[in-house]
Amino acid sequence: MPGPDGPADEQVVLRLDEVQAGYGKAALVLRGFSVEVRRGEIVCLVGPNGAGKSTVLKVASGLLGVRSGTVWLNGADVTGAKPQDLLRRGLSHVLQGHSVFREMTVEENVMLGGYTVDDRATVMDRVEFVKSVFPVVAERWGTTAGLLSGGQQKQVEFARALMVRPDVVLLDEPSMGLDPKRTAGMFEQVSRLREAGVAVLLVEQNARRALEMSDIGCVLDLGRVFVRGPAAELLADPQLGDLYLGGRPGGDGAAAS
Amino acid sequence: MPNDSEVRTAVAPPGSTAVARLRSLGSGRTGPLVGIVVVIAVLATWPLLAANPYMLSAGVIVLNFAVFATAWNLMGGLTGYVSLGHIAFFGLGSYGTGLAVIHLGINSFVAVLLAAIVVGLISLLVGWAALRVRGASFVIVTIAIVLVLLLVFQSWRSVTGGSSGLVVPRPFPDMLRPEHHRVFFYIFLGLLALVLVSYLVVDRSRLGQALKAIREDEDKAQSLGIPTALLKLAAFGISCFLTAIAGGVYALWFGDLDPIFQFDVVLSSQIALMALLGGVRYLFGPLVGAIIVGSALEYFLLNFGETQFHLVATGLLLVAVVLFAPDGVLALGAALIRRLGPSATSIREMSAADVRAQQDERAAARGAGAGGSVTEEPSERASDD
Repeated sequence: MPGPDGPADEQVVLRLDEVQAGYGKAALVLRGFSVEVRRGEIVCLVGPNGAGKSTVLKVASGLLGVRSGTVWLNGADVTGAKPQDLLRRGLSHVLQGHSVFREMTVEENVMLGGYTVDDRATVMDRVEFVKSVFPVVAERWGTTAGLLSGGQQKQVEFARALMVRPDVVLLDEPSMGLDPKRTAGMFEQVSRLREAGVAVLLVEQNARRALEMSDIGCVLDLGRVFVRGPAAELLADPQLGDLYLGGRPGGDGAAAS
Repeated sequence: MPNDSEVRTAVAPPGSTAVARLRSLGSGRTGPLVGIVVVIAVLATWPLLAANPYMLSAGVIVLNFAVFATAWNLMGGLTGYVSLGHIAFFGLGSYGTGLAVIHLGINSFVAVLLAAIVVGLISLLVGWAALRVRGASFVIVTIAIVLVLLLVFQSWRSVTGGSSGLVVPRPFPDMLRPEHHRVFFYIFLGLLALVLVSYLVVDRSRLGQALKAIREDEDKAQSLGIPTALLKLAAFGISCFLTAIAGGVYALWFGDLDPIFQFDVVLSSQIALMALLGGVRYLFGPLVGAIIVGSALEYFLLNFGETQFHLVATGLLLVAVVLFAPDGVLALGAALIRRLGPSATSIREMSAADVRAQQDERAAARGAGAGGSVTEEPSERASDD
């Protein structure tokens, strides 16, 4: 339990403490949920439909208020802050199902990502940076984004999220709408985010694949943390495999695809 | 890839350069400015060609529509927020100008500017409330604004003259009618240049990029930290300010204001129709639409008199646009040019050719034997490296 003055640990980028949240007057979706994301770490949320995975991201990015509990970003209490403020403080949210602006070029998409950055030179520096991380962005700079393949659009989307130089990126179902081959490529791109020094809080239906490249796994059920631990350990747990990872046995079976 | 060769043969170099040139004309830095100069120069010949004062006055009306529709497009086209009540700000601009000339006794054109500034500020208040809702709700709110203003201006006789109208003193009292039309034709032409340049500046700015992002997906734009509410309001304010200038100059030209015409919902939706018909994604779309619809309205009036026939025709035209040319006649024309071009390429094939050229270049640079098995995605090649 963290003290009332928040996490002192410099390495913690994002932290949710005992968060309760829900929509309208309906019952709570999150019933005392806590999670911690450290610098350069990929944390993966898995769990059945309706467990509250996307709600966690909405709370973290300020799209949804909390009923109780605290949200910390880079050591500051940001509970109730607006999405724009959080963006300036280093949190970038890649929404579910929403992709690139299809009618606009790759360039325009990436530049829109840097809309909150006022200094022109900084923007150009970051453009060079995201081009180096995601080669497709450089190659298809002038192309209308809607003409790119799903996997390429994802890269443009990630590049756009990186334009604010976030400390943490929230990814909601990044594999949605991608075929297995593109999904593999996408996961590789997520690893690139980590290599770029960015922490990632990831929600994925494709739980087993997502855990394979994550550092920490966090199984959510009924709005609470069911179990949390190093991703490799969760993958190896046969009981979890049965319950949440598609019913296949863990342990030796997990390695085989 | 089985379709590799098809794509290769489909893209002939001469055709693709023609398309590329066409595209650069639309997106170049100076291209549109040159376009504005050319268009204004061509339109400036109308008073020389017009056979009689009636034709000249019809030209003034069409230009007035063009200014109005282009100003509308700054909001409706760039943000996708379709206002059917823009005439509210046109009417306020014309009444504001008339009242300022009558009661303040200031120069007529100073009065236009003053009225437009006040209307611009009013529009910020109205927009602040109206822009909280999207889609159909926004459309209904804008219509409601016009109906409220119509009632107010009809009832408030002591100030507006009510239904008997308000006579606006002419800026050039000694001028004969044909000369009057000629002068105002050129004033409206100057105004059209101003509005076109304003649209171009906004379109090319960071503001324009953000507005187009809002048009595509407002929530997504917001998630990127774009202050959508503020920028929509800015676009609305600029659009209403320019609309009010058009209204003010109209008041000076026509000289007689009646609420039933100054706050006419039907005309208001016809303005939106002009922009949609011409093509809201194009700088000159609203102008083209104004010329088509404006001429058609004058034609019906001339041949069928004061019937409701032109309303039926307008309705049919609106249906036809929505069904057959949702992106406007300019988009239709552009598609036609592409189809008639020797290469018959679609945009997708073009970009596939671009990619291939890049891939060939890279393969050549690398000097590896990878050229034979070209995959369709540079992303995967890149991540293989």
